[in-house]
Amino acid sequence: MIITASLRSTRILKLLPLVSALCILVGVTWLLLLPLDDYSRRTYISENALLPGQVHTYFGGSEQDVFRSYRHEVTALGKNASADGSGVMAAKIGGIFDAFGLKVGKQKFEYIAAGGVYAGENVYAVLQAPRGDATEALVLCAAWVNTEGELNESGVALVLALARYLKRWSLWSKDIIFLITSDSRAGPQAWVDSYHDLHAPPAVASLPLKSGAIQGVVVVDYPTSRGFESLHIVYDGINGQLPNLDLINTAVRIASGQMAIRTMLQEMWSHDNQYRDRLRTMLRGMVNQGLGHASGPHSSFIPYHIDAITLQAYGDGWHDEVTLGRTVESLFRSLNNLLEHFHQSFFFYLLMAERRFVSIGTYLPSAMLIAVNFTIAAIGLWLKSGRLDAGEEENKGGDGKVSEGKEKLLGPAGEAPSAAADAVSEERPLLLAMAFVVAIHFLGFIPLYLFNNLDEKNFTSAFYIFALLNVVLPSVLCAIFTKSSTPTRLHFALIKCFSLLLLGMFLSALATLNFSLSFLIGVFASPITFINPTPERKWTVGAAWMTLLQGLTPTTALVGVAYYWGEPLSEILKEAAFGWRVWGMWTQVVVWCVWWPAWIIAGVLVAGSWAVEA
Amino acid sequence: MRLLSWPLVTQLLLAPLVVASARASEYNDYSENLLLKSLPGNSILASFRFVSNGTFDSHHSVFPRSLAQILQQSQTKELHLKFTLGRWDAEQWGRQVWDGRTAGGTGVELWAWVEAADDSEADARWTTLNNALSGLFCASLNFIDSTRTIRPVMSFQPAGHHSPERLERLHLLHGTLPREPVCTENLTPFLKLLPCKGKAGISSLLDGHRLFDAQWQSMSIDVMPVCEENGKCQLQMEQTVDMVLDVERSMGKKDSLVPKPPPIEQLSCDQDKPYAGGDSCFPLSGVTDLSWSLSEMFGRPIRGSCPLAVVPTEEATHVCVNIAEQRAIFVSQGSEERKKSPELRCFVLHGRGPNFVIENLDFDIVLPELSPSTNILLTPPPVYASRSLTGHGQERGGIQAVLNNPSSNSTVEFVYLESLPWFMKPYLHTLSVTVSGKDDGNVVQDIYYRPALDRKRGTQLEVRLRVPPGETVLLNYEFDKAVLRYTEYPPDANRGFDIAPAIISILDPTSQKSTFSIRTTSLLLSLPTPDFSMPYNVIILTSTVMALAFGSIFNILVRRFVGADEVIGGGLVSKIRGHIIAFVTERRRAGGNKPKTE
Repeated sequence: MIITASLRSTRILKLLPLVSALCILVGVTWLLLLPLDDYSRRTYISENALLPGQVHTYFGGSEQDVFRSYRHEVTALGKNASADGSGVMAAKIGGIFDAFGLKVGKQKFEYIAAGGVYAGENVYAVLQAPRGDATEALVLCAAWVNTEGELNESGVALVLALARYLKRWSLWSKDIIFLITSDSRAGPQAWVDSYHDLHAPPAVASLPLKSGAIQGVVVVDYPTSRGFESLHIVYDGINGQLPNLDLINTAVRIASGQMAIRTMLQEMWSHDNQYRDRLRTMLRGMVNQGLGHASGPHSSFIPYHIDAITLQAYGDGWHDEVTLGRTVESLFRSLNNLLEHFHQSFFFYLLMAERRFVSIGTYLPSAMLIAVNFTIAAIGLWLKSGRLDAGEEENKGGDGKVSEGKEKLLGPAGEAPSAAADAVSEERPLLLAMAFVVAIHFLGFIPLYLFNNLDEKNFTSAFYIFALLNVVLPSVLCAIFTKSSTPTRLHFALIKCFSLLLLGMFLSALATLNFSLSFLIGVFASPITFINPTPERKWTVGAAWMTLLQGLTPTTALVGVAYYWGEPLSEILKEAAFGWRVWGMWTQVVVWCVWWPAWIIAGVLVAGSWAVEA
Repeated sequence: MRLLSWPLVTQLLLAPLVVASARASEYNDYSENLLLKSLPGNSILASFRFVSNGTFDSHHSVFPRSLAQILQQSQTKELHLKFTLGRWDAEQWGRQVWDGRTAGGTGVELWAWVEAADDSEADARWTTLNNALSGLFCASLNFIDSTRTIRPVMSFQPAGHHSPERLERLHLLHGTLPREPVCTENLTPFLKLLPCKGKAGISSLLDGHRLFDAQWQSMSIDVMPVCEENGKCQLQMEQTVDMVLDVERSMGKKDSLVPKPPPIEQLSCDQDKPYAGGDSCFPLSGVTDLSWSLSEMFGRPIRGSCPLAVVPTEEATHVCVNIAEQRAIFVSQGSEERKKSPELRCFVLHGRGPNFVIENLDFDIVLPELSPSTNILLTPPPVYASRSLTGHGQERGGIQAVLNNPSSNSTVEFVYLESLPWFMKPYLHTLSVTVSGKDDGNVVQDIYYRPALDRKRGTQLEVRLRVPPGETVLLNYEFDKAVLRYTEYPPDANRGFDIAPAIISILDPTSQKSTFSIRTTSLLLSLPTPDFSMPYNVIILTSTVMALAFGSIFNILVRRFVGADEVIGGGLVSKIRGHIIAFVTERRRAGGNKPKTE
């Protein structure tokens, strides 16, 4: 009460836009400071039980001959063997697993997303831990076709050879599941859904064979038969969820410390561990996290609170399958040591080099500050909206000083002091403003539905039509709004106030779940704070605002993403629709139901500055 | 050296005497036998069985006094105690030996019939029994409290002979400890109960290193009264140790503990492959029956026969080997073979040399390698059962049990018993039983459900099911996860909580008595767990201190004490001014009205 009262009585209100701007500035600067040595930390193994790289690895020797034969088998089957509906891949791989004396299960699945059919058959084998009681399990996975669409010949062969080799060890405390998924996107999701019995039969079949709670997943992606130069560790999960940092650290330590393989993150093929490269790694990580898509077969496991990473062989070099096999062997020996589920280390972090990170406590303020800027602006507008009349009087009659003086005189005397305060606060026309904001937010469901349900063939045309509509929509909406319900300036102020309040609330909540998405949307939406709905603008200023806003629409961002990845727009939209149907990806909801409505309202406000007369 | 050998020497000297006295008293006898059965995948099932008879009042020659006293003290008339490790792989190994009677669920399982007038007395005696057994077997049996105890209604029937009057006073109590790691410390007291204490006879094979390296192992103790027709009763204790040994692993131990890749010459490669001959080798999966011997599998041979055991008769033999007919078998001296069937070859260890002098000869069995692999016919269990958790998240979950009747012509009827901890709150309305994807009302015959009480008792669910031939029944139900108090978490809170295996008791269609029992594997349930790490504790502690400090300071700063007649409103400045005025007037009045809080 006191603070509000003091805000009213002081001139902080006038400073609020400055405070908002400062929040954005500090928020962005904060993020840019993170890669510095003083703000980021070196990674460390938090879970003592892991003991990475403390064991001798023996994979090699005659196992390599066996590996080569399996690679011949995989190459002979070819890339299309997994998804052509013949089941030849599952039969062949299942037969090899069966020869080791492992229990084999197969799973057929079929997803339909955006008119496309994604079908295939997964095959897996369970190595039951000797003396184990089936309460815990680890997964070693390879997708038949990797994310790039290449046949994962060495990866699959390595899983087969390792299955044969690891079975001879008697020290496993957890079951090991060897999983060959038919692709990198739908297959793992179908498998992990069925493992937790959350699948939708009959399109996705139930698993005939299960084990215990999965404690860790390692995916091997090695699509060539040549040697490789370095190991690319992919860790982003769906909706920006991340695996426990200990798992990544263990992999990095084993690969670079024990096996002397260079490790890389976020496709940074060269990294000098200086500011620029760290920042780039971090920003790439943030883009991946913000998009919330599956970056590899491991991503589907992470929403189930299963820590998972993909090890990708990259480049041409002198490391071969034995080195990768030993890395996986050592990694599994470490995972086998786990007494509890991964919990010691961080789940929220930004990696900027393979051995440098910042944790949530350090980076969260930057997204929070950006989210708070909207809230501050909204509170400012709310208070201002109550003072509008007083301000007007001040402008019109110029007797503001008198009334102020009166207030000062009246206040201490105790004669109806509340009346003085009430004189400035005006009844706010809440209903119309609220209804408008809520309606616009619900309008977001239209593109959400549209882009998740259209057929993929129509995506490009639908998108361009929508983008065009998007350009004129704010003006049209504004025209309809002003024609139908003659709003005043106060209405516009309140609309902006509610819109910003919602945006601030959503983004600060989102920052704790998916920091990057919240930050990116916050930065893109930050100009909305400074749009002034007062109509005393020249049309040129309005036009300038409109142009700026048009440059920051979700549709423009989509085009930007397509450009960043070098993929056609329809591919991005297909991925999004697939993500929504199969992975349970929430990015579109945030874009269409949080960001887009806020943008539309900003556009209406700008348009309103032309439409509404003072 | 002398100390070590002394008991053995006295035992040997006294042996004929003891045997004589044991034979004189018909209620004090002891027999032991070992069954070795070859299982697919180069595994061997070794099943040790020791039966001792005795009474409470007689002198304790074979029946252990320690146990008898405990049973007497707690008025326990029938006792079943199981220590189990690992899982029985029914798909590969078929049905369990002894109809699954001797195998418990993972961890420790105990059930007993206690004689008592009412429930509370039974509970008290049950606690006494648990505490005493806990001390005797070095197991955490004392942790079987009311939350882990259930009173099964349909699943168990007394195996011993009890008079009808006594049956009415008997209370069945059942407790499980799924998390208890069974180890050597449980084996030692187990062996001490045997008359020969693991020094001679087949029990000399029981070595902790080998026993706990088994794929699956179960130690069980069953005590029950056995009555003859003339009304004479005695107490029978049956001790069994069942284990499944992996031949390859057990035999490989002698070379190296590390399974290094073998030299390429030792691999048998498929030469028919187009790429064969080069640097690639597609391994052939030709399975051979590996050679094994008792002394290599168990680390030592059988040290003669136990002199306290009854002289084996035609039926009762010491060691039986159940292997395919084609396999050759070589045995050492001092034994006599009795072939019961082509696949079951039994041996009597008389421990006597050529001149009938007791020499306590070591007994060993050697089986040479045989290729291709031979298998004896395995009978499938009456039901294949598996159970898994469904769903994810910290709030709720589900359990799915898959129960398959492998028989092609007979319906199987059984009781499915779940004993769930109190922090797992199942919803009975979500219980669904489907056969081939359809709801079938005829499957569930009967349900007994006793809901949990927080921190007092767990849930007990017994469902009697009838599964038609060849069908698979899916039993699903959902549950909520409770939030525990922070002191209720174990030290390794993030591991999860073990849920006891479900017990499946196959019922005889006519008598409705349990004829076979199967346990599923245990489950690991993750509950919402607070972050118990040190930084977290520091954060919550400092936050609390800061909140307290801030709250009180804020209160002092903001709250103003004024007289009721001096209440004024307005802005901050006016309030401060009012505050000063109030303060001044307060001074002037010196006494007056009592201040009131604004």
